[in-house]
Amino acid sequence: MGVIQFQDVGKIFGPKTSGFKALQDINLEIRDKEFVAIVGPSGCGKTTCLRMVAGLDNPTAGVVSVDGTPIKRPGPDRAVVFQQFALFPWKTVYDNIDVGLRNLNVARREREARIADILNLMNLTQYAGHFPHQLSGGMQQRVAIARAYVLDPDVLLMDEPFGALDAQTRVVMQEELVRLARKNPRTVLFITHAVEEAVYLADRVAIMPRAPGRIKEVRDIAAIRNAENWDSHEKIEDVMDLESFVHLRTHIWRSLREEKAAQHA
Amino acid sequence: MPRRVLIGFVTILVVCILWYGMTTGLGIIPSGRFPSPAETWSALIHVSGRGYGGGDLAIHVYTSLRLVVLGFLFAIATGVPLGLLMGWSRRAEAFINPIFLIIRPIPPLAWIPLAILWLGLGDAAKMMVIWFSAFVPSVINTYAGVRNIDRPVLEAAYMLGMPKARFVTEVLVPGASPMMFTGLRLSLQASWTTLVAAELVGAFYGIGRVLNVAQQDLYPGMILVGMIAVAILGWSTTKALGMAEQRALRWNTAALAARG
Repeated sequence: MGVIQFQDVGKIFGPKTSGFKALQDINLEIRDKEFVAIVGPSGCGKTTCLRMVAGLDNPTAGVVSVDGTPIKRPGPDRAVVFQQFALFPWKTVYDNIDVGLRNLNVARREREARIADILNLMNLTQYAGHFPHQLSGGMQQRVAIARAYVLDPDVLLMDEPFGALDAQTRVVMQEELVRLARKNPRTVLFITHAVEEAVYLADRVAIMPRAPGRIKEVRDIAAIRNAENWDSHEKIEDVMDLESFVHLRTHIWRSLREEKAAQHA
Repeated sequence: MPRRVLIGFVTILVVCILWYGMTTGLGIIPSGRFPSPAETWSALIHVSGRGYGGGDLAIHVYTSLRLVVLGFLFAIATGVPLGLLMGWSRRAEAFINPIFLIIRPIPPLAWIPLAILWLGLGDAAKMMVIWFSAFVPSVINTYAGVRNIDRPVLEAAYMLGMPKARFVTEVLVPGASPMMFTGLRLSLQASWTTLVAAELVGAFYGIGRVLNVAQQDLYPGMILVGMIAVAILGWSTTKALGMAEQRALRWNTAALAARG
């Protein structure tokens, strides 16, 4: 199971009365095995939402819980993929993926089998002995995703995982993530500022305009995806050309922009 | 042979020829001020055969080398853990840092009189002085190394549920190691500096002792032999440390390339 719940969550950085209000009245429930993206401009507080589920930040109001248990500290049941990869530069690809399993005291045999599987799935097998700095950004992020997925976590948290990659690599990774998510579904909270990415990947998209961060609207994507049979298209650009996709993308774009225009008026 | 090494040999050769020319050849420098190659050679034969300053060369070299290695190891065995602790815990840093602020400006050599007063002219006093000089750079650089670890890498370690001991050995130590090794180099250099100084002040054996006696005997050849011996020992120990560093930091080729 992996149900994430935000209940009246607020976050203030600094002193309670005069500090920076990053988040306000966040209410969101992410169902088991559901893929939810939070989309918004930088500085809107979307990463803080993810960090609170990860246990790397604490809310100043309300409760963030997974399966009803409020989150206290980070743990391997909520695996994170960071924007800057955050691999251990002194460990090989294999050891980077292995260390989380060792922490969970998984037996050697099983570790070897699980790592072989994930290396194969992420096309990393031939790079098992490489150090991270010997790999391109896209490959490093693949390792980071493998390191998270191999733990078989209840919840997968992805903080702009493709933000540091070039456009071409990004598209390849997005397609691979869809493949991975369909094959082995997890509860995913995905943070991004790219509207198209959110619509392409997520079952639902939460729209979060600029600070003080609050969720303006949650848009259902899965129903339309299934009705219009997006998954029958193999290439991301084919999906992005579909009228139903364009419609959703434009709607979310406007929703984010209107907020901006209202602020400037 | 790589070009760089070849050029280095040529430079040394030129210096030797100049040395010979200025002393024996042209006699510009009198042998009372600086020894000729021949005088230096005979001093080397003297100290390695009959012995000088209470023992032969092997005893002096062994004494100095042993003290430096022991003092250095003792300093890093205490300094590195303290640096890790300070880098890791803000509270530990708050407690310990004021002591460092007071101790740091004191040159290590200034501890020699106190060390001799407490522990006499034997090995213990010298170990203490070496420890003082090598301890500070290893603490400071280990501390800075821990602080230098990328925040997301630490967060990844928490997220992966690292147990404490593994967090230290597989995250803090390797993460701090590039700067830590910089500290160890400084520590090693400081160890040689303070050892020779301490032996100059008073010792029964050691290269500093040779230098001290040769100065009193007005024996320039022997002084030069002592200086060259320290240079060779310092170079070899630094080289050994460099090899250990290269092994430990294989993953960090960028840092090694930058250092040449």
